[in-house]
Amino acid sequence: MGKTALIVDDSPTMRQMVAFTLTNAGFTVVEAQDGKDAVNKVSGGAKMDIVVTDLNMPEMDGIALIKELRRLSAFKFTPILMLTTESAAEKKQAGKEAGATGWIVKPFNPEVLLKTIAKVLPA
Amino acid sequence: MSNDFAQFQDAFFDEAAEHLAVVEEGLLELEQHPEDLDLLNKIFRSAHSIKGTAGMFGFNAVAQFTHKMETLLDLLRNGQKAVSPSIADLLLKSTDCLKTLIESVKTGAAVDEETARRLTTELAAASASDSQPAVAGSTNKVAPAGSAANCSGDRTYVIAWTPPEWLFQRGLDPLQTFKELKNLGSLTEVTLDMSRLPELADIDSEKCYLSWGMQLTTDKDQTVIESAFEFVREDSALSIQLVENKGAQAQSLITETSASAETESPKPLGEILVESGVVSRETLDQALAQQKRVGQILVEQKAATPQQVEQALQKQRQQESAAQAKKTDTTSIRVDTAKIDKLINLVGELVITQSMLSDLGSRFEMRQLPVLLERMVELERNTREIQERVMSIRMLPIGTAFARFPRLVRDLSAKAGKKIQLVLSGEETELDKTVIESIGDPLTHLVRNSADHGLEPPEERLDNNKPEVGTIRLNAFHEGGTICITVEDDGRGLNRDKILAKAIKQGLISESEKLTDDQIWPLVFKPGFSTAEKITDISGRGVGMDVVKRNIENLGGTVSIKTRKGYGTTFTLKLPLTLAIIDGMTVRVGKETYIIPLLSILESIQPKAELIKTVVGKGELINVRGTYIPMVRLYEVFASEPEYTDPKEAILLILETEGERVAVMVDEILGQQQVVIKSMEQNFRKVEGVAGATILGDGRVGFIVDVRGVLEIARHGHPVAA
Repeated sequence: MGKTALIVDDSPTMRQMVAFTLTNAGFTVVEAQDGKDAVNKVSGGAKMDIVVTDLNMPEMDGIALIKELRRLSAFKFTPILMLTTESAAEKKQAGKEAGATGWIVKPFNPEVLLKTIAKVLPA
Repeated sequence: MSNDFAQFQDAFFDEAAEHLAVVEEGLLELEQHPEDLDLLNKIFRSAHSIKGTAGMFGFNAVAQFTHKMETLLDLLRNGQKAVSPSIADLLLKSTDCLKTLIESVKTGAAVDEETARRLTTELAAASASDSQPAVAGSTNKVAPAGSAANCSGDRTYVIAWTPPEWLFQRGLDPLQTFKELKNLGSLTEVTLDMSRLPELADIDSEKCYLSWGMQLTTDKDQTVIESAFEFVREDSALSIQLVENKGAQAQSLITETSASAETESPKPLGEILVESGVVSRETLDQALAQQKRVGQILVEQKAATPQQVEQALQKQRQQESAAQAKKTDTTSIRVDTAKIDKLINLVGELVITQSMLSDLGSRFEMRQLPVLLERMVELERNTREIQERVMSIRMLPIGTAFARFPRLVRDLSAKAGKKIQLVLSGEETELDKTVIESIGDPLTHLVRNSADHGLEPPEERLDNNKPEVGTIRLNAFHEGGTICITVEDDGRGLNRDKILAKAIKQGLISESEKLTDDQIWPLVFKPGFSTAEKITDISGRGVGMDVVKRNIENLGGTVSIKTRKGYGTTFTLKLPLTLAIIDGMTVRVGKETYIIPLLSILESIQPKAELIKTVVGKGELINVRGTYIPMVRLYEVFASEPEYTDPKEAILLILETEGERVAVMVDEILGQQQVVIKSMEQNFRKVEGVAGATILGDGRVGFIVDVRGVLEIARHGHPVAA
């Protein structure tokens, strides 16, 4: 498919799992450990087909990252999925307001991850 | 949940351990700075991370317990509750409990469920008490009405959808939704409603002004259809109506958001009773407090004595810790990718050198000898660099071993009623992972000892013009090829008279023996030695210091003591950087080759005959610049055939270990080289005076001399035949 994905999570384990699933599905994956790292990695003008980001992160959290990305022309309409925990309803709202396309509720399995991505990612 | 993620469990355990350390350190720091919001956020994030990731692997007990901690932490960081000592304490205890929970999913070790349950209740109570009432029975989630129409067969729905204006700005594409609907069944009569479209001049190209109507014929549930609108439903005007086959009445099926029902494991009875309002939380807590432990009941029924129960409990604890120790022994190691990359580069170079060599070897002529030698030098350089890199992979900062001490000292000072501050330094000093793992226990023992015996109670300190707060200092640093770790306290120092009295009582020394201070202090390392007058909870059961010494020696290290009465005690541990390879001096005795650890060699001399004296009962001594040092003929120790028996012709190496010196006589010094240590015990049996064996360049086996052992032999004069 040759699509690219940006994965942002401060947990290396989560990052590995998401990256593993997406790599197997044919994505080229760029990983970042927090919002700041992610912004640095795309600030050179890199384009991504999809962004999957955690919300709770040091440096720059997921909400701030989404706002920041939406400001960049390359990410204006890019699907951005956030990883949330079931208890974070107000986070979901804040994410939507920041411009998140959708969300994946932890815990999830690989199928759910890929299905949700398919839902928002134009073929 | 089918779980392809299981392969990442080890990564989770590593990560969780790091987060736990962050939480624990953070909580300890929080006690000093209860207002530090950054700190609270950091702790919260770590707890949150554990919760989220644990859930991914289906570790529900861990996730739920962490969730309870997280709830309380969230209240703290939002300022809805203030950090109090009791809350900090509760969170620390919970961290311990969380550790055991994670350990239990990792190793299958037993969990103290009662503690976990009690802490869960306490956490909930702490989160609830003043800011909000205890979580009332969760809002009833009625099964979606759609399930009522569970009859099979295709049904037709009429869908009207007006998405929010900002649809595109969130990266959503209505086309995706149609595609998904199409996958559910047959999508027909899609109509576009452009009535909201403004004048061309007023159009904001990034907004969505369109609405759609459509019919979907499918055998799927209504909830499935709704899920196609998952990310926009709450913000859209959406109606989904079931069309009766006869096309008569449309039955509205839309129900309010049916957020995925929370999947929680069954709650304890008490929780359910509280939630349904049968009993109050206080009543429940009181009832739980009355629950007795099995041991207590048995004692009351006179089925067992308290001692028997205590013994059994101790046995249980031992078994648990033994089982845990065994299981946690093999763990993965996290390595900086940069280190691996460098290693791969070096392996690449090695391959090139090897191919150049085999090329040279296939058509070798004598005149190419210089080229060959050059290649050999290159090969040696490659090998050495690879060795260093591989070793560095195993090197970790000692900080990981130090991390447990702030907590330990906090608990100890509370228990012993002393004021103690802990100062750590040199945490970044790197040493072998195995060594780090093995020094944890000995260090803990030394720190406990300092806290319990070394430091005085506050009153006594004030009486002696010392600051009220005692200090324990842990320091690590490199010294030559070894790592030094010091455990230092500013307490009362070792008591010479007490140690002597105890040693005489134990029959370790005779009353007539005159001992120097440096000979007295090591007595505390003798098995069964403890001068503490009363056995405390913390240390001083008469076991320990000998175990410390043995553990350190097993690692090829040494322990020494420096102490000054009234000023404190310093224990110094010297450890090898790594266990597998040492720098050695190869020496020859007759036809045999021995290796002497380079670190222990002070100098080598060719003695004059008059410098050597024989003293009855002490063997041979040699005068080195005015000091007499015991002399050992290596060929006598190992019963081999030497070239020289006259010290004038041979060479004497002056070796030092633990501050004592010995002169070892050999025929010849061959050179310096790094040797790989092979264990004697594992392959043969322990041999006095031999620390291990190695394979020499010519394929023969060479023994590595155990300097300490040789010194003992020199002292007691009983050579052991190899």
